[in-house]
Amino acid sequence: MERTQKIEESLSIVWEEREKKNYDKTDISGKISAKVEEDLLDDLVKMDYLLLEKNNVKFTNAGERAAKDVIRRQRLAERLLADVLEVGRQDVDSLACEFEHILSKEVEESICTLLGHPKECPHGLSIPQGMCCEKAKDELESIVVPLAKLSPGETGKVVYVLTRTHPQLHKLMSFGVVPGARVFIHQVFPSFVIQVEETQVALEEDIANEIFVKRLH
Amino acid sequence: MNIVLVGNPNVGKSVIFNALTGRYVTVSNYPGTTVEISKGIGKFAGQKIQILDTPGINSLVPYSEDEKVTKDILSKSDVAAIVHVADSKNLKRSLLLTLDLMELKTPMVLNLNMADEAKEHGIKIDTKKLSEKLGIDVVETVAITGEGVGKLKDSIQRARVPQGLLSQGLVETHHFQRPMDIVSLNKKNKIIDNILSGVLTVSKHLKKSVAEAIGRITTRPITGIPFLIVILIIMYKFVGQFAAGTAVDFFEETVFGKYLTPFFVHLATRFIPINLIREFLIGDYGVISMAVTYAFAIIFPIVTAFFLFFGILEDTGYLPRLSVLSDRIFRVIGLNGRAILPVILGLGCGTMATLTARILDTKKERILVNLLLALAIPCSAQLGVIMGILGSMSRNATALWIGVILSVMIIVGFVSSKIIPGSRSPFIQEIPPIRMPQIGNIVTKTLARLKWYLKEAVPLFILGTIALFVFDKFGILKVIENIFRPIVVGLLGLPEKVTEVFIIGFLRRDYGAAGLFQLSKTGILDTIQILVSIVVITLFVPCIAQFFVTIKERGMKVAALIGGFVFVFAFLVGGVLNFVLRQLVSRGITVI
Repeated sequence: MERTQKIEESLSIVWEEREKKNYDKTDISGKISAKVEEDLLDDLVKMDYLLLEKNNVKFTNAGERAAKDVIRRQRLAERLLADVLEVGRQDVDSLACEFEHILSKEVEESICTLLGHPKECPHGLSIPQGMCCEKAKDELESIVVPLAKLSPGETGKVVYVLTRTHPQLHKLMSFGVVPGARVFIHQVFPSFVIQVEETQVALEEDIANEIFVKRLH
Repeated sequence: MNIVLVGNPNVGKSVIFNALTGRYVTVSNYPGTTVEISKGIGKFAGQKIQILDTPGINSLVPYSEDEKVTKDILSKSDVAAIVHVADSKNLKRSLLLTLDLMELKTPMVLNLNMADEAKEHGIKIDTKKLSEKLGIDVVETVAITGEGVGKLKDSIQRARVPQGLLSQGLVETHHFQRPMDIVSLNKKNKIIDNILSGVLTVSKHLKKSVAEAIGRITTRPITGIPFLIVILIIMYKFVGQFAAGTAVDFFEETVFGKYLTPFFVHLATRFIPINLIREFLIGDYGVISMAVTYAFAIIFPIVTAFFLFFGILEDTGYLPRLSVLSDRIFRVIGLNGRAILPVILGLGCGTMATLTARILDTKKERILVNLLLALAIPCSAQLGVIMGILGSMSRNATALWIGVILSVMIIVGFVSSKIIPGSRSPFIQEIPPIRMPQIGNIVTKTLARLKWYLKEAVPLFILGTIALFVFDKFGILKVIENIFRPIVVGLLGLPEKVTEVFIIGFLRRDYGAAGLFQLSKTGILDTIQILVSIVVITLFVPCIAQFFVTIKERGMKVAALIGGFVFVFAFLVGGVLNFVLRQLVSRGITVI
């Protein structure tokens, strides 16, 4: 592992631990050593990425930015692998690890846009927002939400469909629930009834949660 | 050489098939009616060519079993021409499949069916332009009225291999092993938008029609559940009270009682000197006095009413809407709302319904549905007769019967969904539009089903009666009754005579039910005995035909397990019910 890669890995570990509300220096440094085979914690402090308050680890502003970038790339890569390339859950993590280090800023934004500016990685952890997400918000004046969040009478434009399993995606697509299609919500309980063009489809909530749409006003 | 009809589900392939061949296959307003290939002969310019009707598919990537069936036909059989039957209202979606089919490089015709509905929706299609763009003939039809079918026949003879798009390099040939990915789908959508520009015009203001309003009423719980209850009450009144009461009384007491039976008795006593043969025809277990009377006086009026009612329900498009209401309930038993279709079909005929379990996505779901169909779903003839019996009992008895059967269904479903390995698939179901049923189609469908019923059921009735007759003459009946005495008399608290009902119930459950109907009228049974026996006969083993289809679909092992379980379980539930009701009565509580 190259040095920059090791630093990026270490930053992402500190970020992940922070998400778990773990700031403990000894514990975190142990985790870093285990992952990159070197205790980089002190180096990161020297590089002005991290601060130490008593035994607590904290990001500096620069560290926060750098870690956010790493995490964002890593989780976007996971989304891409899981949703579009449909790699199995077990392989996602290891592949994403490799992948994140070779993503350029530009590619990262394209992927983010392609995926419809996703908010969560396949594990359900939040993906830090990038510039493109902010821009998308301003331009579209609406956000991408799961279809399940819409109320009866609302219309959404499909941005992307998460693909937990193939047949289900395939079925939705052949009913016309494809990116770009306008979906009208007839009802949401006990099941969702939606309309695409002249086709009415009933779905359960789990499926409606995997179709991401832009609200149309 | 074959002509193959292909298309999305519920676009009217079977109606086109009937129009082209003059044969009849069942037509309904819900996706998945055709689960097997139907074959027929069509005449084209004096030449006879075989036509195949296939299960509906949404693309050439085979995911479900019916899609596999269709794909196999297209790739393996000798195809002279493909007729892609499409729903005019859903042109965009249909073209996705057209593009797939075009890649097969087989002569084809695009048939835009249900052109009348498209017009109602304000959709106009320039078929000439579309035909030019696709490089194949495009014919509009309204199959149910026969409009455009002649033109379609002409076009089939001129079917050509699509050239236009392929030569422009818009569609790349690829293999259908991988699922459509988003990229190729986006590309296809662009191609379709391209094709449709200048071809499709939709007038802006669509009228919210009555049909849509009814559609909404049926799927919302607040209005949908009362609607369902009203439908069930109408069915009960029509099938259980009118057909099983008034009509059966007329046939049994007047037609048979006053005219036919005395006539046959007279004939037999006059012309048949041998006592044994006379008894064979008109004795206690006589072919005429029992089999023919049961089949025509009791069950025939009931199934006619049921088929009629059911046919109307099917054609309105109401049934798939029930899946919206029932999905959450089915989830408890490891299924999803789609399972309502085989279950409801099972109320028509368990044998047909066992086949339709194929529309479900996973093996586990199919086994579960086959089990429930064998156990807890009474078929039309049986249901009708049971309704007839319940019609003369208290409302509480009806409620209790429904309660017991539903609880059995839910408990057995829940437990077996935990035992049977595999997973439940998510609920995605297309909802067809509400349509006005066509009287012509209802009549044809009812007649076709009645014909099928007579062909299938009556021989079994006769066989059952002969078995009873032989058993009776050789004293085997007594032996069987003795073997089952601990169960029938001890466990269920029923008279020995009811054993006969269960014996003939092996052949056909409705025949068994008809036997009970007779017994309940004679007054041998008290109310608890009637209720216990109808619960047992409802749950009791599937009829022979359904059992064979289950073997065919699920294999011997699974079918035998299902059969064995149902046999034991039916008596068990009956026994518990009998015990509980007797206990209550002994404490002075009368439930029914």
